[in-house]
Amino acid sequence: MTVAGEDIDYGSMRPSETALVIGGGVAGMQAALDIADQGYQVVLVEKTPSIGGVMAMLDKTFPTLDCSACILTPRLSEVSRHPNIKLLTYSEVTGITGEAGDFKVKVLKKARKVLEDKCSGCGDCVPHCPVQVRNEFDQNLGYRKAIYIGFPQNTPLVYTIDSENCIKCELCVKSCDREAIDLTQEDEEIEIPVGAIVIATGYELFDVSQYHRLGYGRFKNVINALEYERLINAAGPTGGNLMRLSDGKIPKSIGFVQCVGARDVKKNVPYCSRVCCMYGIKNAVMAKELQHDNVKNVTVYYADIRAYGKGFEEFYTMSKERFGIKFIRGRVGEVEEVPKTKNITVWAENTETGDFLKNEHELLVLCPGILPPKGLKELAENLGLEVSIDGFIPIQYPASNPVDTTIPGVFVAGCAESAKDIPDSVAAGSAAAMRASITLARGGEP
Amino acid sequence: MGVEDEPRIGVFVCHCGHNIAGTVDVETVAKVAMHYPNVVYSTDLMFTCSDAGQTHIRESIAEHNLNRVVVASCSPRMHEPTFRRVVEEAGLNRYLFEQVNLREHCSWCHAREPDKATIKAEDLVRMAVARAALLEPLEVKTVKVAPHALVVGGGVTGLRAAVDIGSRGFKVTLVEKESELGGHLRHLSTMYPNDEKATDVIDRMLIAAKAIEDIELMTSSVIVDLDGHIGNFETTIKNLKTNKTAKRTFGTVIVATGFEPFEPEGYYEYGNNPNIITLAEYEKMKSQGSVLRISDGRPPKNIMFIGCVGSREEGNKGHEHCSRYCCTAMTKAACDIKDHAEEVMVLYDDLRTFGRGHEEYHREARAKHVMFSKFAHTKKPKVCLKEDQIVVKWKDVLSGTYCEFKPDMLVLTTAMVPPALTDEVAKLFGLTRSGDGFFNEEHIKLAPLTTHTAGIMIAGTAQSAKDATDSATQASGAAAKATSLMARENVEIESTVSWVDETLCSSCHTCVQACPYGAIEMSTTKDPPVAFVTEAKCHGCGTCAAACPSNAITMRHSTDEQIMSMVEAFLMPTTLEGGGE
Repeated sequence: MTVAGEDIDYGSMRPSETALVIGGGVAGMQAALDIADQGYQVVLVEKTPSIGGVMAMLDKTFPTLDCSACILTPRLSEVSRHPNIKLLTYSEVTGITGEAGDFKVKVLKKARKVLEDKCSGCGDCVPHCPVQVRNEFDQNLGYRKAIYIGFPQNTPLVYTIDSENCIKCELCVKSCDREAIDLTQEDEEIEIPVGAIVIATGYELFDVSQYHRLGYGRFKNVINALEYERLINAAGPTGGNLMRLSDGKIPKSIGFVQCVGARDVKKNVPYCSRVCCMYGIKNAVMAKELQHDNVKNVTVYYADIRAYGKGFEEFYTMSKERFGIKFIRGRVGEVEEVPKTKNITVWAENTETGDFLKNEHELLVLCPGILPPKGLKELAENLGLEVSIDGFIPIQYPASNPVDTTIPGVFVAGCAESAKDIPDSVAAGSAAAMRASITLARGGEP
Repeated sequence: MGVEDEPRIGVFVCHCGHNIAGTVDVETVAKVAMHYPNVVYSTDLMFTCSDAGQTHIRESIAEHNLNRVVVASCSPRMHEPTFRRVVEEAGLNRYLFEQVNLREHCSWCHAREPDKATIKAEDLVRMAVARAALLEPLEVKTVKVAPHALVVGGGVTGLRAAVDIGSRGFKVTLVEKESELGGHLRHLSTMYPNDEKATDVIDRMLIAAKAIEDIELMTSSVIVDLDGHIGNFETTIKNLKTNKTAKRTFGTVIVATGFEPFEPEGYYEYGNNPNIITLAEYEKMKSQGSVLRISDGRPPKNIMFIGCVGSREEGNKGHEHCSRYCCTAMTKAACDIKDHAEEVMVLYDDLRTFGRGHEEYHREARAKHVMFSKFAHTKKPKVCLKEDQIVVKWKDVLSGTYCEFKPDMLVLTTAMVPPALTDEVAKLFGLTRSGDGFFNEEHIKLAPLTTHTAGIMIAGTAQSAKDATDSATQASGAAAKATSLMARENVEIESTVSWVDETLCSSCHTCVQACPYGAIEMSTTKDPPVAFVTEAKCHGCGTCAAACPSNAITMRHSTDEQIMSMVEAFLMPTTLEGGGE
């Protein structure tokens, strides 16, 4: 268990008994737990101030509409309390040398400027901070202070000062009874010997503004799906009230556009992103579920509905039959803003009927595909790996060894390997844990 | 602070963001709870499960000297372990915690009636408080885990799991009912996404398996009996050839019993023309050499594939699910055969080439001029036979035109369905099945590999339809779960089990018959014999307690008194003036 800020001598960890997990999303957390449960030590490195990954930002999850935070929170505390897991948040892996059974990992601990062993997460400092900036966790829709936690379940529950925006007024320092704030703290580099490595760096979303014709960035009422998640989330910037960004009204007609930055060779994303159909349907259902009768029309524009996983097809059917979601097979050609109402006009072809449609929606949600995260290429190079043409970590034998990279002792879980949904990421996290524990048990021998 | 002292109950009512507070007036519920008997502290919290919420509970226990805790939040299925741990960390026995499900049982199902929902929430909390006052601490027990795993099924999933467990240094026995290992992959040609020969995939794992001493491979064998519980499953394995049985004790089990390709009887004239075959039959033929028409042994020139045969059929139980592997498998088969055929046509509903490298086959197939045509979900193609000629008619929904094609081979891409003996397997291992007929996991999102029977994991197509890559991933994952248990050596078991008052037992055997888990036997060391509960096997369902005519069985943590106190609190509310401290 990492007592926040507890003095751990990382340099003297035994590589034969220690694994490194890079990335604290749902796949990385699962990998860490399943290695740690076998009695090995795990160092879990996460670059943001909290573990949880993208799943922590989601509202509900398909196909059961489980609330994301409700099922994730116990995992967060399980990870932070596990006696064999050392958490290094706000930290990045900067270099790796060595081989299976005996790697040396350089980790940059970014200066949090809040002492992890002293901060209790009380938040007394927050009202004193005069700097307000947009909160990345809320997809920049809400605000946070320069001293912040991204979300209430931030794990570890320790505040972070964002040095870029801090004006060093020291008001927070004065407000903190526990003397937990140290503005002079500097970045620190540590070296950790480990025997096995799991890459679980997750993904990032395609920048939907690349499709100029779809209007994102030009029209206020065209948003992306992760922004939508934050807007319907009770802990989000609107307290869970779905509203338009132009005027705060509840949108009565919502369109969802699928495959934005997926299955498109021209945008260099030829692959299917695997999750967007289902999160699109889930978000469509949520619009009805949240606003009941207020939302009259929810339409999904799609190419193929890929409801492939357990319970997915059944969920898709339910969305049509019980919630009355309309599905139109056809890519959206062009969108325009109606100047007076700021509504969005969508031109699309219903390819099943051949009809050309001009539909007006009060809100349009673009569902972006999944990209390899920034820095994955560099991380891979550090390990002596080359990423595949799709930008993800390559696998030599997918049918028999689906989480083994081409470097012995290095494994991959979750979206670092390719787009995956939560259950598949969890299974891959457990799988990578298994393979990593074998490397440890055999002293690096394959 | 002892339980023998007066109950001092703390009540924590959770907002769960908007999930509960959006409907139920949680602040009022918390305020009213302050006046229930024995309540000394009551509050509402935004997210009780968060670290901040947990800390608040721990601090309140210390500050108000609480000896019982009631959390009114969500289903105990997810968070009961969380809160039990919290109260334990604060020095209370974990069974002195009581959870009220205000979310699933109240706010979600009464979303449109907030006032009534609030009244119901108050009722539920009041009942829980009454019960909490009668809760008793229970001893936390552990069992040893035998360092030997059982893997049932020797397909790609079972082999992967067995090789992983063996490589990790634990003993593992793999039981396969067929005489050969490798499962369906033995009959496939090449695999997506890397065009690897399916037999190479199996051989790689077989070589690994045979090189590890700790792996015992038992082919032509089935499990005929499984008794016991997590850590100690006593198993009888029968060899189907020799009829000899062997007994083994396993600490943990991975069920990887796989799937069966759906036999499309009654679909598309299957069975009425030798050149109408399933994709499984097509693959088998291809893996043995080349694809030939059964009727005349010639290579087909015009081939058609039809997708979703026995999949995605609303209202047809067991066939409502998407089978996940088939679109890509069919697309790859079409792409490959196009090199040798004149026309290749694929009829699909939605084309679900979703995985890594799948879309690339789709694109390559189209580049090779494999023709793809979409039929309407509600209007499947029609196949008729004109003497020996197969005629397929359908409406291409994208062009709106009615089409006809006369393939000389028609390949039906059929669903993955649970194998014939799934019911028996479910019974043997205490598994439940989901709507698609496959086995239920513990939690569909975050615990896809463990089941509700502790110590028993599922993986691969036993859990749901999927391809080899996703199956192998689950296999390694399930292996991790199994090795975690074995590495820990001891695991805690639930203490909410039934208990027999030997002085009241009349040796009638009613409970032995009633117990669905075989957890009750008659103790032969006593005279007359009395009922005896194997606690690790007991699921705490209470069937025995209800059945016992002598009232000799008590369900720990659900005693008659505890249950009656809740009924009483509901019917005859006692609210104290003042209340609290």
